Amino acid sequence: MQELAQIQAIYIVTSVILAAVGLYCIIVKKELLKIVIGMEILTSAVNLNIMVMGLTNSGVDALAQSMAVISMTIGACVAAVALALVVNVFRHYQTTDVRKLRRLRW
Amino acid sequence: MTAQVVMYPVIILLSSAAIMSPLGILEGKLKFKQLKFILTIFSLTSCLISLLTLHQQVSSEGHIEAFLYGFGLPFGVQIYVDEFSVYMAMIFCSLGLLVAIFSYRYMEVDTGLDKYYGLLLTLITGMIGVAFAGDLFNLYVFWELMCISSYSLVSFRKYRWEAVEAGFKYLVMSTIGSLIALYGVSIIYGCFKTVNMREIAMRLTLAQAELSPSAILSLYFATGLIICGFAVTAALVPFHTWLPDAHPAAPASISAMLSGVVIKTGIYAMTRILFTVFTVSPSRVVMEMGSHLIPLVDYGVILTTLGVVTITVANFMVLRQRDIKRFLAYSSIVNMGYIASGLGIAAYLLYHYSGQTYELAVTAASGAILHILNHAIGKGLLFLSSGCIVHEAKTRDIAKIEGIGRKMPWTGLSLTIGLFHLAGVPPLAGFWSKLLIVWGGLSCPQDLFLLISTFIIIINSIYAAGYYLWLVQRLMFSKFGPATEKAHEAPLSMVAPIVVLALACIVLTILLPWVLPMVKVSTLALLGGG
Repeated sequence: MQELAQIQAIYIVTSVILAAVGLYCIIVKKELLKIVIGMEILTSAVNLNIMVMGLTNSGVDALAQSMAVISMTIGACVAAVALALVVNVFRHYQTTDVRKLRRLRW
Repeated sequence: MTAQVVMYPVIILLSSAAIMSPLGILEGKLKFKQLKFILTIFSLTSCLISLLTLHQQVSSEGHIEAFLYGFGLPFGVQIYVDEFSVYMAMIFCSLGLLVAIFSYRYMEVDTGLDKYYGLLLTLITGMIGVAFAGDLFNLYVFWELMCISSYSLVSFRKYRWEAVEAGFKYLVMSTIGSLIALYGVSIIYGCFKTVNMREIAMRLTLAQAELSPSAILSLYFATGLIICGFAVTAALVPFHTWLPDAHPAAPASISAMLSGVVIKTGIYAMTRILFTVFTVSPSRVVMEMGSHLIPLVDYGVILTTLGVVTITVANFMVLRQRDIKRFLAYSSIVNMGYIASGLGIAAYLLYHYSGQTYELAVTAASGAILHILNHAIGKGLLFLSSGCIVHEAKTRDIAKIEGIGRKMPWTGLSLTIGLFHLAGVPPLAGFWSKLLIVWGGLSCPQDLFLLISTFIIIINSIYAAGYYLWLVQRLMFSKFGPATEKAHEAPLSMVAPIVVLALACIVLTILLPWVLPMVKVSTLALLGGG
């Protein structure tokens, strides 16, 4: 029981660090593709957290596994839409630098 | 009642969306271009009919629970339909139908209309699914269905830089929001090993006395994550920056959907989770009459503060706008603030004055829920008519379209009714919903927090009425602007939904004595009393 709690704590800390890395990536990076990668890291952090929360002595809860799988699928869909938009941004601006996307204000 | 029957609205819309793309190919072969439109109208109408049947069933027999695929608790996918979910689903579906009729002429210059109608149907499917979801993860899946459709629809005119840029901004912000909300859901799952909302509420009730401080802390953390996550789509103030860009960039029909119902889904999901999950009901354990629900976590303060800040900040931003759609977008943020603060006041009253002020909490919450309907009608009307104006004048600058209401009498008159409705000019329904919220807020004169926030709400409503009337003056009574010379009335299929919505404003006002009990029943379903 003690061991399980320890493992769980380690993974929870990992997922929090991953989420922080993802958010940092989205906020700080100037490259659109890196922003999309940051979103993917955030998705992985959430998926990891779901799996950790379902951890029991006899493996991971089936509910947590199914939730994580569906969440991964949804993350892939969002990434596909995001990449399609990045392609369109490149067509308009000939760059994927987010600092050039400043025409919308107020 | 099997699960499939309850899911009819979702199944109809989703299957129509799935056959939309093959239908587009078939249309090209047959040289008959109206098939997509006919299928959309047909599926939305049949969805509305099945929702009406469901509404009758729910109002006669109470809520409906069903599990998909035969798995029970704690694994099953639960569909839970009560009065509030049917109320919301009917708003979504009716506005979707009107928007589809509007799109027929409005979108005729665009290509790829099979994708447009398909995405519109999946958007409505997602919203109805959110309203029907009985467990947190199911809600998240439908939520993402809605979000992905709306990202694609905002950037539908991908040949314009504005649409692509606003769409990407919306995608990044909204995805972070939903992931943060999912993080909160995973924490709740970790605490209770189930994601079923009512099961969690039951376990919380049973374990109420033995909850350790660390468990309470993690519940507060989860509440904060869920509020922040859904507040992005609900456009409450620190998270609102995507909205004023996305609304003008989207086609007018889609801005009407976004502003009319999609942002309401954010507030629906937030309050549904908060009121259902974090609410301890003594009556579930001790079957004694007169005991009311007490929220376990004090989320009322957070919601009210967020709402009041939203109203104030967005009101300051509105008058800076020179673009009619940005003007309307900021006024949507203001109205979301009213709804959030109304529900927040209700939660605050329940938490701090448990039991004594139950009726007043119901009053404030029903004001907020009536305002959801009012704003869906009013803002749908305003965005559709601004779409007509932009279609004729080819510009969104308010200075250039002054006086256009006189060139387009039907649109102008409907726009005026809509603006009066949202300004809260007394006989119209927009006034009564704000009055109910303020009434709930003024119910405890000894409570300084409620008093101050209600005072700010009142000041802001008066100020808001001022700028709505300013817009009426500019559009209806000013001298003709440069862009109005060639303007004339929009085609019939664009004017008809607008006139229907304007009539709905008036009919809603007349039918208010009958609508209010229905709203109150929905409120009781949300607050879990009655």
